[in-house]
Amino acid sequence: MENISEFDLNIALRQWLDRFGQSPQVKFENLNELESHLRDSVVQLQCKGLSSEESFLVATHRVGNPEKLEPEFAKVNRNPRGLVIHGLIFIFFSIVCWFLWGILHFPDMMVTALQGAQLPAFTRLSLGCRSFLAVPPLLALVYCFYVCLRKFHAKSSWMGFFASTTAVLIFITLPTIIAVLLPMIEFMNLQLMRK
Amino acid sequence: MIPKELVAASTVPLVLSVLTEGESYGYALIQRVRELSGGKIEWTEGMLYPVLHWMEREDMIESEWREADTGRKRKYYRLRKEGRKALKEEKEHWLSVHTTLAKLWKTSPSSI
Repeated sequence: MENISEFDLNIALRQWLDRFGQSPQVKFENLNELESHLRDSVVQLQCKGLSSEESFLVATHRVGNPEKLEPEFAKVNRNPRGLVIHGLIFIFFSIVCWFLWGILHFPDMMVTALQGAQLPAFTRLSLGCRSFLAVPPLLALVYCFYVCLRKFHAKSSWMGFFASTTAVLIFITLPTIIAVLLPMIEFMNLQLMRK
Repeated sequence: MIPKELVAASTVPLVLSVLTEGESYGYALIQRVRELSGGKIEWTEGMLYPVLHWMEREDMIESEWREADTGRKRKYYRLRKEGRKALKEEKEHWLSVHTTLAKLWKTSPSSI
């Protein structure tokens, strides 16, 4: 007859780690490290002649009660410095986006200077996309909230956030400059033609 | 068995001291301390990791995930300059306590 209660170390480990990882304060990395520890411990105990199940029970007992471990992990996983840096990057990013949104109003003022001539197509396209400038700061805000609550892998993930926001800013700033410069060039051309 | 308060207080200097022997990972650190103390220092094994992570944040140690000979990944910890400095201070503190107690017990051994 098949033994349905046969012990499966992998399943038991997964269940133990799942129970421990329920707390949002425990990072995935913490779980990986504890799994590595438990596996080392189980192998060692098996070498001493214990069965898989016995080794697992002894190993998890030695690691400690998950309910008591969680607050200790939570304490150290709270990283106020990282959150402050995220906040500062978010504020800087939002201000620059707002500034670019303001700059994109400049071509509107040039319409009168161009004396009826149409704005360049790229500028018109950029003006049409102006309201989309609110999207990157909103996404950044959502990400910041996610950072506050999530279980994250990297220890200094603000670097990734900084790199992403900088890349987005470059991606937005270049077309904005072109969109503003084009009507200016047009205006200068008009002036030159008139002379 | 050493009381848990004393075990907790000695965790940081113990980890720093073991890491002066070379890089190591959580399970091996625990085994080394158990072996050196003759089983008198028993950590609640899981409690070591928050301490290691705190030490890492304080720049005393650094870590790296690497594949071990077993094929599984392990997180290895290494001592940093800040850690050596902290260990020097810890040594001074623990030696002061040790010297004081040794002097006291030497003068009145019957009272122990």
